[in-house]
Amino acid sequence: MTGLASFYREKEAYLLGIGFVVFLLAIWECVPLLITLPRGYALFFTTPSRIAVTFYRLLVEGKIQEHFYVSVAAFLSGLGIAIAVGLPFGIIMGRSRTLDALSDPYVTALNATPRLVWLPLFILWFGIGIWSKVMIVFVGAVFPLLINTYAGVKNVDRVLVNVVRSFGANEWQVMKVVVLPNSLPYIIVGLRLAIGRAILGVVVGEFFGSSKGLGFMIASAASNYKVDVVFTGVAIFMGLSLILTLSVKKLENSLARWRPETTKTF
Amino acid sequence: MGLKEKYHEYQRPILGMASVIGLILLWEFTLTYLIPVDPFFFTKPSLIGTAFREQLSGERLWHDLAISSRAFIWGFSLSVIVGIPLGAVMGWRRRVEYTLDPLLTALYASPLVALAPLLIIFFGVGLLGKAVLVFLLAVFPFIFNTSAGVKSADPLLINVVRSFGGKELDLYLKVILPGTFPYIVAGTRLAIGRGLVGIIVGEFYAASEGIGFAIQNYGDTYRLPDMFVGIIVLSAIAVALTELLRKAELMVAPWRAGEEIR
Repeated sequence: MTGLASFYREKEAYLLGIGFVVFLLAIWECVPLLITLPRGYALFFTTPSRIAVTFYRLLVEGKIQEHFYVSVAAFLSGLGIAIAVGLPFGIIMGRSRTLDALSDPYVTALNATPRLVWLPLFILWFGIGIWSKVMIVFVGAVFPLLINTYAGVKNVDRVLVNVVRSFGANEWQVMKVVVLPNSLPYIIVGLRLAIGRAILGVVVGEFFGSSKGLGFMIASAASNYKVDVVFTGVAIFMGLSLILTLSVKKLENSLARWRPETTKTF
Repeated sequence: MGLKEKYHEYQRPILGMASVIGLILLWEFTLTYLIPVDPFFFTKPSLIGTAFREQLSGERLWHDLAISSRAFIWGFSLSVIVGIPLGAVMGWRRRVEYTLDPLLTALYASPLVALAPLLIIFFGVGLLGKAVLVFLLAVFPFIFNTSAGVKSADPLLINVVRSFGGKELDLYLKVILPGTFPYIVAGTRLAIGRGLVGIIVGEFYAASEGIGFAIQNYGDTYRLPDMFVGIIVLSAIAVALTELLRKAELMVAPWRAGEEIR
């Protein structure tokens, strides 16, 4: 008895959190048993068990894999280009006041506007193949990376830079010894935000101009009222973003233990 | 010499303006003299300017903006009404936080936009579908920021109020609310960005009016200048709202200005 009570006290946070999710899923599962839904609503309704069965069926048929690879390819190439562009530009903007001032209007405007507004244009330019998706992922992911890298570089301790300089370091050495290590925690935060934006880009990009990919699977299933397939796709996207963001978050915490807890942002 | 000092003082805005004007001129010049513009795939500033003038005097743009903002305001107000109290309870009661946090964090981190097709089919292509989508996206920053704000209340201040015989209500109104306010303002800025995503996706997906629909429709019919007008108007609104809230953040909590991550 006391063993159980102390076990509960120790794990209360996990038990309550997981318990609540399980509870909600159980209620959801039981809805059709408790009330008979009118025919119109039954069409839109599904239960967790049916979603699980659909997931398994699609997995065995290989449908999920086929769409999954397309989405992952767009995600990885878009994010890769965003990293390759965002980091150097962030560093340059942080180090040069002139370039910072010159590019500031564009960065502010593009960062404030949801980058998805460019989707119709990208579809027009790059067609409905993978490239319009890569581009929309890229413009979504590049700004969090760029801005956070910039903030990290800007936040460098002047004294440290001056110390390294007065020992005769050139710009490259200043970068390697002081600037980059200092910016790393910021870059990781940027990466976490960028992953969220990139997944958003993949989903929405595939909703519209696309004939393959998980987003396409969701959109076409929705227009055929296959609600369980929609939820399967949504669940895959949820799982992916959770795994990716939480692992980056772990990295973030281990890199910056000394940082005060801030509000959650995704 | 005075001129040089003035330049140094206003260097940033001057350079920023110069780069915007420079880009516009370069864009116009390149497409007029160097590469002939293919109106189906690209456009140039002078054509966008003409389209802009036409749209400003027409009715369609204003109508679209009114439609979109109505859905946005409904969804956004709902997320304020739900998000702030929920966040406050989560921040104040430890067990409520334990219970709700994993679920809400998972939902916050996942692309809920993926539900858009379902929501649109379920709630229709009109106001309701879009408002629900905006709500789903915008509610989380309110929940988590309010909760963080309440949790940040200084225990010392709470004890002071208590030991001077303050009631629960005094505690809420005099300590917790003022401390939470800056967090809520910061949350509002994040929520606006996410809410705009909701409006745009909702209108891209299925709509017959609204600014997102207009942008997509102009794209589908190869009217690029008009499409750019839509994008520019939307950007202007987004920038205005974001900068306004950034200013508000500086006003309510100047000490937090430096530590933000966008």
